[in-house]
Amino acid sequence: MSEQRSQAEETVDRTIVDAVRDGLHTEMERDGDVLVLGEDVGATGGVFRATEGLLEAFGERRVVDTPLAEVGIVGSAIGLAASGLRPVAEIQFMGFSYDAVGQLFHRAARLNARSRGRYNCQLVVRMPYTGGIRAPDLHGESMESIFVHQPGLKVLAPSTPYDTKGLLISAIRDPDPVIFLEPKKIYRASEEPVPTEGYEVPIGEAATRREGTDVSVFTYGAMTRPTLAAAEELAPEIDAEVLDLRSLWPLDRAAIVESFKSTGRAVVVHEAPKTGGLAGEITSTIQEEALVYQEAPVERVTGFDVPYPLYDLEDYQLPNVARIREGIRSAAEF
Amino acid sequence: MTLWSETEPEEDFYRVLAPDGSLVGEPPDLAEGELELLYWTMKRTRRFETKGLALQRAGELSIISRSRGEEATPLGAAAALEPGDWCFPLYRQLPGLFYWGVPMDRTLAGMMGAEPETVDEHLPFGDERSEPPVNFSPVYVPLGSNLPNTVGSALADKLNGRETVSLTFVGDGTTSEGDFHEALNFAGVFEVPAVIVCQNNQWAISVPAHRQTASDTFAEKADAYGVPSERVDGNDVFAVYEACKRAVQRARAGGGPTFVECVTYRIVEHNTADEPSVYRSEEQRERWLERDPIDRFETYLLERGVIDESDIEAMEAEIDEAIAGAVARAREVPDPDPERMFDNHLRGESWTERHQRAELRRERRGENPFTDWNGEGFQ
Repeated sequence: MSEQRSQAEETVDRTIVDAVRDGLHTEMERDGDVLVLGEDVGATGGVFRATEGLLEAFGERRVVDTPLAEVGIVGSAIGLAASGLRPVAEIQFMGFSYDAVGQLFHRAARLNARSRGRYNCQLVVRMPYTGGIRAPDLHGESMESIFVHQPGLKVLAPSTPYDTKGLLISAIRDPDPVIFLEPKKIYRASEEPVPTEGYEVPIGEAATRREGTDVSVFTYGAMTRPTLAAAEELAPEIDAEVLDLRSLWPLDRAAIVESFKSTGRAVVVHEAPKTGGLAGEITSTIQEEALVYQEAPVERVTGFDVPYPLYDLEDYQLPNVARIREGIRSAAEF
Repeated sequence: MTLWSETEPEEDFYRVLAPDGSLVGEPPDLAEGELELLYWTMKRTRRFETKGLALQRAGELSIISRSRGEEATPLGAAAALEPGDWCFPLYRQLPGLFYWGVPMDRTLAGMMGAEPETVDEHLPFGDERSEPPVNFSPVYVPLGSNLPNTVGSALADKLNGRETVSLTFVGDGTTSEGDFHEALNFAGVFEVPAVIVCQNNQWAISVPAHRQTASDTFAEKADAYGVPSERVDGNDVFAVYEACKRAVQRARAGGGPTFVECVTYRIVEHNTADEPSVYRSEEQRERWLERDPIDRFETYLLERGVIDESDIEAMEAEIDEAIAGAVARAREVPDPDPERMFDNHLRGESWTERHQRAELRRERRGENPFTDWNGEGFQ
């Protein structure tokens, strides 16, 4: 962890989905203008139970079950934000968010600039992404690049319970519209101590999960765990450094370039399709800013350029430990 | 099928002022000064837009869309609001904006493509003119996208217990958008204090209203969402005002949303890049010119002695002088600092923004911006 934590603070063990709920609860308690809205967020607590208990704690005024309509959810959340509330909208699966892209691009990303700063769009849109949960079609999407490509949106993708709570709180307090991507494959994968109080994890800062000297590996979200596992398998033969980007926009290019300058070799791992994915952007950044340090081609270990497959094939689409390991080896041995 | 773009059925809508200027219903209870303001706003908008067209043809303005012949709808609707209310306009609602004091010089500067911050600096609000007391959202061209935001704005007021109302406009074409239906459904379910005004001018660029819908009217679409609706003569400023006033008052009192269909006609081109003679008949347009909203209101005011011919002459001269002054001031807005494009965008320190600003600066200095091989960044 890159954040300094006080030894004295009280913690409780939480999974990522617990940390989402905890972050929402903490901010709703702190700020009466924060409210959540979406399909099934109320009585049932969301299809992943990320909003469980909020209705009982805060009532119908602040936990709003909506009709089944993503444009309506995001579009009305933008209006709520323009009027000074702090909406946190839930989209059940990233694959359902595409209808609402118009609202995010036409309105959310522009409201501040087009109103000369008069109106803010202090809005968070949460959506579970990532595959690997044996779900139906359009439930395993990782299309984060579309949100990164639209200037005016911030895009966060935590990989740990601690970061999930801290980044969600930062997102709710941030004056800009934030897309908050939750790695549903690892929603309940493990627990770690999370402070019971509110705290912020800074937006725009990558975290070094493993220090190393031979290859820099850049990843985020649910791919962080298999990437770390691959790095461990290669040690001590190859000493890989693993950066968890956490924030996809703004991207911590300084950390990327700095790590690369120390190793001269890089691998980018994401489960999103390769073409147009963030790996291309990171590779270009390295080319532009640190070419003279480069000792090998940058390897991209990503999903294939196919619509996310039905689940009997998803294990072949998702980068796994072996594929990531070979990617790192390729960059190291070039 | 009784949509007006195809046939002309009986005028089965709410009307107060007939095309010949005679009263066929109860007029709103408005003082003479208020009547003059309505008239003056329509006159001013029409002359302003005529000047705008000339400036556009001369290459000074970007594409513009005029409200000519439809002025009564946005004007009557906006006039029904109160200070503190919200309005989400589209691009053919200038009369509504002018009614609430949006200045002509700032509007023109915007049409000239000026950067808003620079407009603010050079044509500021201040002691001599204050900001409009109604909150106007920025105008976005993808029509329909304003609707869910309007519903959200109204929902915020309801949740906060504020007695403010949010009003927005849709066109006949907009009712085909998915956003329209999701927003109307939300409005009905959450009973928000919103007024949705359908400015049915019967043409979405070249597509007539009967190609937008198989419904008999646009108003009846609201029935499906449990939203009360009313259908009015959109060229009758009294009818629009009265219907919208009722809707605003009901919303303010907690009675929920209303949909108001205002039937009018797009007398002119969709915008300055459009040529309507390709797709519609001049005859249809001629019939609608006889229902002009300004002519009928002028006749009404003249007959009642609220104004006389000399008032009109004086008003026109005054408006033209004001427009000339606005054009001169808008032309004086200087080119902005190009780096302004990065402002009011995303808050917080960003490597990308820092580097891209520096690249732009180098380019403007005539230096090669693409030579930062070491990632040190430019100064």
